[in-house]
Parts: sequence; C-alpha cells; structure tokens
Amino acid sequence: MNAKTETNSKGTTRRNVMKAAAAGTGLALGSGVVQGFPTIWAQNLKNIKLIQVGGSYSAIIDIAKQATKDLGFQVEMQTADEVSLLNRLINEPRTIDIADIEYYFQNYLIGRNIIQPIPLSKYKWWDKTVPIFTKGEYPDGRKVSRQGTLPYKVQYLESRDAKTFAKHPTDLLSGVPTVFNADTLGIRPDLIHRPIEHWYELLNPEFKGRTAIVDVPSIGIMDAAMAIESRGDLKYGDKGNMTREEIDKTIAILTAAKKAGQFRAFWSTFDESVNLMASGEVVIQSMWSPAVTAVKSRGMSCYYVPLKEGYRAWASCIAPMAHLSGLKLDAAFEYINWYNSGWQGAFIARQGYYSSVPETARKFLTDDEWGYWYEGKPAQHDIKDPYGNLMEKAGRVRDGGSFWQRMGNVACWNTLMDEDRYMVRRWNEFVSA
Amino acid sequence: MSGWRRLAKLQPQIISWLEVGPLALILLLFFGVPMLIVLGVSFFDYGRVQMIPAFIFDNYIELFTSSLTLRLYLTTLKYVVIVWAVTLVIGFTVAYFLVFHVRSLLWQIGLFLLCTVPFWTSNIIRMISWIPFLGRHGVFNQALMAVGLIHQPLSFLLFSDFAVIVAYVHLNTLFMIVPIFNSMARIDPSLLEAASDAGAGRLRVVREIVLPLSKTGIALGSIFVITLVMGDFFVVKVMSGGQSSTVVSALSTEIASLQYPPAAASSVILVVIVALIVSAILRLVDVRKELTG
Amino acid sequence: MASLRHGPRPWTFYALATFFALFVLFLYGPMIVIYVLSFQGPNGGMTFPINGFSLHWFKALIEQERTGDIAGAFRRSLVLACIVGALTVLLSVMAGLGFRRRFRGASFVFYMAIASLIMPGLFVSLGIGIGFQMLGIAPAWYTSALGAQLTWTLPYGLLIMFAVLGRFNRAYEEAATDLGASNWQRLTQVTLPIVLPGIIGVALFGFTLSYDEFPRTLLAAGSTNTLPLEIWAMTTNVTSPALYAVGTVTTIVSFIVIAAALTAIALIERRRLRRISAAERTIGED
Repeated sequence: MNAKTETNSKGTTRRNVMKAAAAGTGLALGSGVVQGFPTIWAQNLKNIKLIQVGGSYSAIIDIAKQATKDLGFQVEMQTADEVSLLNRLINEPRTIDIADIEYYFQNYLIGRNIIQPIPLSKYKWWDKTVPIFTKGEYPDGRKVSRQGTLPYKVQYLESRDAKTFAKHPTDLLSGVPTVFNADTLGIRPDLIHRPIEHWYELLNPEFKGRTAIVDVPSIGIMDAAMAIESRGDLKYGDKGNMTREEIDKTIAILTAAKKAGQFRAFWSTFDESVNLMASGEVVIQSMWSPAVTAVKSRGMSCYYVPLKEGYRAWASCIAPMAHLSGLKLDAAFEYINWYNSGWQGAFIARQGYYSSVPETARKFLTDDEWGYWYEGKPAQHDIKDPYGNLMEKAGRVRDGGSFWQRMGNVACWNTLMDEDRYMVRRWNEFVSA
Repeated sequence: MSGWRRLAKLQPQIISWLEVGPLALILLLFFGVPMLIVLGVSFFDYGRVQMIPAFIFDNYIELFTSSLTLRLYLTTLKYVVIVWAVTLVIGFTVAYFLVFHVRSLLWQIGLFLLCTVPFWTSNIIRMISWIPFLGRHGVFNQALMAVGLIHQPLSFLLFSDFAVIVAYVHLNTLFMIVPIFNSMARIDPSLLEAASDAGAGRLRVVREIVLPLSKTGIALGSIFVITLVMGDFFVVKVMSGGQSSTVVSALSTEIASLQYPPAAASSVILVVIVALIVSAILRLVDVRKELTG
Repeated sequence: MASLRHGPRPWTFYALATFFALFVLFLYGPMIVIYVLSFQGPNGGMTFPINGFSLHWFKALIEQERTGDIAGAFRRSLVLACIVGALTVLLSVMAGLGFRRRFRGASFVFYMAIASLIMPGLFVSLGIGIGFQMLGIAPAWYTSALGAQLTWTLPYGLLIMFAVLGRFNRAYEEAATDLGASNWQRLTQVTLPIVLPGIIGVALFGFTLSYDEFPRTLLAAGSTNTLPLEIWAMTTNVTSPALYAVGTVTTIVSFIVIAAALTAIALIERRRLRRISAAERTIGED
C-alpha cells in the first residue's frame, strides 16, 4: 500500500494536484488547492499520511483512495463503532489524525484539547454551507429546532481552549460539517397495509412483537420520546435535554410496553436493523436511511416514512486532532477543503445522505441523481448506489421528498443530555427489565 | 550448561522464578497496572463528560443500593449456570468419545481439530450466522413448518434467552472440551480395562474412574466457560435483541457514555465475585496440587 | 466390554459417535449457510435467497474495496495470532515447569493469572489504552493489543499446562537424571517430547483466542484494526457477503493447516518410534 502510493506520486505530486484541480469543478475551485502548498512543501508532502477515523457510514475507503489520488499525500480511513471511537478520541488521541464524529460528540470533547478548531480563514466553503450549520436557520429565516444538539449550538468557539461553545458566530469552527440526514421510522408497507403518519404507531399494540428501537440510549430514548409525545402521554420541555422526571416517565412507559411484548428487539448495529426488517421480524422500527435502501435492495418493500411530528436529525463533522502541527496540519486543512469540494458529497449522496455543501456535490452528480436525491423529483433513469448497484427503479421519488421537505421538518437532533448519567442508568434498567 | 546445573543445585527457587518470571512480568505490566488504574478510577467522581479525581464511595454505594445490580447478576448467573451445565455435558461426552473410543491417535487429533476449525472463523460472524437460522422466517422454523410440527413460526428461538444460550454454547464448548480432553488423555486405558474386567459396569467405570481422574480438566474447563460468559457483552446484546442485559453489557453501555467510574466500580465487584466462584472451584479441585505432587 | 481399545466396537461407540456427529453438525450448521452464501453474485445479500453465483466476494476481499480493509485486518490478525500463539507456548510452558516446584510468590502469580482471566476484557483494553496514553507511547496492534491479548492467553496457557503436566509421571525424568542426563538434555529429550501434544494444544488455544479476541483489543489496537474489530465496525454499516467469504477462506486455510499439522505429527511420531526401537535394540545388544 505504502510503496504503491509512493511510486504513484513520485515526482508527480504537483501534477497530481493540478490534475485533481482540473478534474474538479473548474479553476476557481482548483486554484485554491494548488495555492495551499508552496512548491518546497510539495516535496515532503508525499510522506504525509493522515488517518481519518469515523463511523462506517462516513469513513469510507473509496473516499480515502480518491483523496490520496487528488491530493498527493496519503489518506487512510479507519472505521470504528461509536463506543470505540469516542473512547479512542479521549484515551488514545494520537492514533487518529482526523476525527470524523457526530456533532453531539463535541459536548464530550470541548475544553479537553483533543481536536483543534478550524479557523474560518482556512476553510473555504463556509459561505456555501447550508445555513442550518452556519446560522441555525432555514434559508427562509425560520429557526431550526433547538431540541437536542443542533449543530449550530456547538459550531462556534471563542478560542481554542474555550470551555463552552460560543453563543454567536465567531471565526473559529469546532468542526467542519460533512454529512447529515433526517431520520424517521422505517416500515414494511407490504405487511402493514395502511398509511402510517405518526410516531405513536411505534407504540401501537397493533404491531405488538413486531417493532424495534435502536439500543443507543441517547438516540433510542429520543425515538421513544417522539412516539410518547405524539401519543399525547407527555409533553416534553426539550426532548434533547430531558429532566429526571421526564426520563423517569419515559422509561416507565417504555418498560410497560416492553413487558407487554411490544418490542421484538433493540438493535445496536446497522446490520441488525436491516435483518430485522428484511426478515419480516419487525414491520416498524427506528432505522437509518441506508438501512432502508439495503432492505429494498433485497427486493423487499420498505418505506422511510415521513411523519407529521417531524424527523430526528443528525449531522457529522470532521476536525484535525490537537496533536497535528506544521505540514501535517496544513495537509489536514487541505484535506478538509477537499472533503467538501464535491466528490465526497456526491459519493455519500448516492447513499442517501446530504452534504453540508450541496452545490459542490451537485457538480459530481448527474442532473437525474440531483433531482432524485435532493429535489424530490421522480428518477428519470435507474438510480445507482456509489458502487454501481441498482438502488431505485426509474420513476420512483425519494421517500419524504426533497431536501427541504425533509430537512425543513426537523423535530430534534441527536444529542448528549445534561442528565446523561442518570439516563444511561435508567436505560440499563429498562433493557434488563 | 554446567553453570545452569550448578545454579539448579544451589537454588531451585531461582529457577522457578526464572521460568515463571516472564509470564509474571507481562501480566503485571498489562494486567496489574491497568487493574490498579481501574481500582483508582472506581473511587472517582464524574460529571457529565469527564472524570473528577476524588476518593468517594458513591459509585459503590449506588451499585449496592440499586435493584438493577441484583437483577443484572441474576441474569448473568442464569446464563452462566445453564451454559456451564450444557457445555460440561457436551464437553465431557465429546472428550470421552475422542479419548476412549477413537483408537488411532491421528484420528483423535483429526476429529479434535474438526471441532476447532469453526473457532477460526470470527466469533462475530459465527454469532451472526445464527440469525438467519433461528429467525421467525429462518431455516429452522421453515423446516419445522415444512414437516408439519408447528403451524405458527416460533418466535422464542431468536432474540431471547434461548438464542443467547445457543450462541454461548456454540462459541464456548471448545474451551470445555480442550482441558477435559487433556486430562482424559492421561488416564491409563489399562485402568479402565482392569475395572471392567473386574466386573464394573460402564457407567460405574465412568463415575468412579474417569470422572475423578478428569476433574482437573473439568475444573479448568468450568473456569474458562464461566469467565467467558461472565465477561461477554456482545453476544448477549445481539442475540437477545438487546432485550436482556448482563453485568458486563450494562458496563459496556456505561463505557460507551464515557462513564468510567461507575463502570470501574462495577467491574471491581465483578472481579471479586468471579474470583470467589473460581476459588470455590479450586477448593474442590486444587489444580496446582496435582502439579507439585 | 472386554476392552475399549481392541476387539469389536461396543454399542456405546455408536451412541457416542452419533452424539459427536450431532455436535459437529451443531458447530458447522450455521457455518454451512455462510459457505454457501459467500459464493453469491455481486448483488447478493447476507441472507437467502441466493442471488447468482460468483467469486465476486472473494475478489472483493483481496482488493480492499468498500468492504473496508478486510485483507489488511486479516493479515494483521494472522500475524498477531501467530505471535501470541508462540509467546503463549513459550511463556506458559516455562511457567508451567516452574510451578512444579514450590516457590515463594507462586500463589501471587497464580491468582494474578486467574484475576487476569476474569477481568472484563473491555476494562483491560481501556486500562492499557489509558496507560499507553499516560506514558506517551502510541498504541498499536503489535504492542498494546499484543499485551492485552497476552493477559488473556497466558492464563489459559498456564492452566492448560497444569492439566498437561498434572499427573505427569516423574519417573521418566528421574530415570533420565539417574542415567546422567543434564537438566537441558532431560528437558529437551524427555520432558518436552512427552508433553508435546499438550504444547500443541496450548499453541492452538493461544492462536484461536487471539484470532477471535474482541473486547481486550477493542480499545488497545491503535490506528489499525484487527479482523474482529474490522468486522464489528463493518456491522455498523451495510455488510456484504465479503464477511462470509472471510469465513469460507479461514475454514479452507484452517483445513490446509490442519492437514499439514497432522502430517507433521505423524512424521514426528514415526521418527520417535523408530528412535525408541533403535534405542531398545542398542540396549538389547549391550
């Protein structure tokens, strides 16, 4: 692997960079890439290796390969599940160069000198970034739901060693937004035979023994809260930051449902959710978007159903680790800029995720793909996944519709609660009940 | 060599230490030190996202006053006891068959290795492979329905205690077979022949000769299986469909949320409890006594 | 039951053979599903029905495609398992021999090994990860993860050596000493050959335990994954039959290794028998 990359880039580093620029979306985009590196540095550049560690939904090896090709230094991807990622960030930060994390991780990391913030001047796509991140607003000026960790709430820092997040925009970013999406319930319409429009259906005894929720306490409890609130049992102050009393009530309702046999399973890996749905064990459950796709690709009908109460959204960001400096740090900034320059955005769009800079991604998508994934238009041709496999037949419209139909209706964000300690303990009680 | 010999005559203790030293050193470095860290951390306080160095007993008090703790240990013990019993019966029978009924050494080793091969495919893959097998629409249910034994698929097969136990037995039986096999292999077959010649029935030979003489293996196998089951967290998570939790799986949820101090306290208690179980086993069968004779 | 070793097989043989066959079926049952599904076409999923037939997923293994770095992880795990296996044999055989004498601190070492076995693996790896961080050493699969796995395989190896060396007939060793063998000669020519099958057992155990190890390695593997970690990380995303291909490949490789090992054992046995009979002849000639 090493040797191969070196021969590839030997003496042609600069040309590769140029080529990448040209292959990009035009000179305006490309010139920035080249300017980033004085020629002297380019000599040492090929010895640089950046290791990005993140969830398997975003730390995809093809992205690293493309980056290595475009940038003239080596990028490696390593996938880690949420538990080991968070623990490694804290305990072994030096085994990581680029942290690829969900926004709510920022709550754990702030003030610990583990990742380093990105000065606005080093990042060139901020103006083109979706305003959900930059201003916490929709393009029409409406405020995005503050329940949970809205990225905007943890986006800005006053200084590198700040202990709290800035209340207003500053010129220091805690991380650069990458992929995000709106999650909802997945259903098997062929086994349910009627429209599903509300979150409370998750707790509907009609589906006794055929529902499931995710076994990540902080996320599972929010899905449960969406269902409970929609059924009218409880009105939460902030589903993303429950009080002890709210946690107790939620757990009580969940425990009662569990004892009544409402849930078939609590899944903890992506694969489990796919298998539960594909095998028909479960007909309605919390799900990630690519899991819905995976079920469909097996010839089953599966629908990522838009619900009246809205979506539970999540977003990821990347940031250089605090131990990076000098040339390696420059390479990291260069990589971060490359990351959102379109190739990656297009790649993950084909998995059903949104890019924080949609207009760069658009340049790497066909009009048909753009129409299907972002604009909610019927597909003109068959829609393929990033690896060329069939995702959706021509004529289909994306579940939930266009980008703003989906992202415009966010009820809450994945988060870390103030009462996390209490909540985890109660969740353990619930699971063992 | 002569120096070695002189040393041996001088001080057998030193030789023993030289022989045991490297193992002891590695265990000290990679187990002793982390264990001390864990012990220290178990007295720490913790906030929402970080540990606060302190010396408080809150984590232990919380542990002992919560009804959750008892429930977790009961679930864990339930799994341990059932899995132990099942693997013991299987392990003893398989080892007995291999040692006393398979005549050629090569066949013995060959069949023994046949049991080992599946263990070289990752545990996770093997565990996952049960899911399409046991599910409501899985191979097993389909087969039962095809032969008309049942008319409705059985849902207790998957995401249940049953599934957890099947997976544990599947993953851990080898660790019972190996030590029992090793013990039995050292029983002199002429002993059995003499006993049966003297008119002892098969069952009596097993009960009065084979069983006592393989108790070291049984004790070791039991220690292996018990510690494996008690230390596991992902089998129970996946196979119970997240509906059941044991001490360590609850602890892993805490680690997932970076709540080290309570998790540390919980693991200290766990180590103490398992140590008690193991020392009870060792009281019944002192594996070291046989060694030093 | 005139004899267990000679003569016609008693009925218990067939009963137990059936039991054994059922056990093997239980072990391999779900595995067979894996083998079959690994030969699916490029559009195949993780479950039935089969979607075409191809070697696509085996190719994907080698080419480090979207399957993640399975090939690299597989290689690392294999190397690591060999190192762990070798170290486990060396250190636990030595320690096992050491434990045959009573020595000061024996109980301490013994109970430390037991405690090491029962400590939840997740915490061992967490502790090692934190320890390396405090010392400023970068954790890696060949340092911290190696150490983490040894805290697990060494106690196993040691305990198995107890079973292997327990009731070991000292008379052979004493006879060797009486015949004027040095300690070293006694060790290499008497003790080790007799306990060799046990040692092979320890090696297999060490290898298997390391190759499958998950919780202890999870937080101590540094910048690259071992195979179980890679697979675990993959299950958090779309997994492909490439996972199953790993299963098929490891099984095939295992059978090859076993065939080689059996041949080697057969050869060694034959040589030993020949040497013993030669020795007997020499004694006879005296």
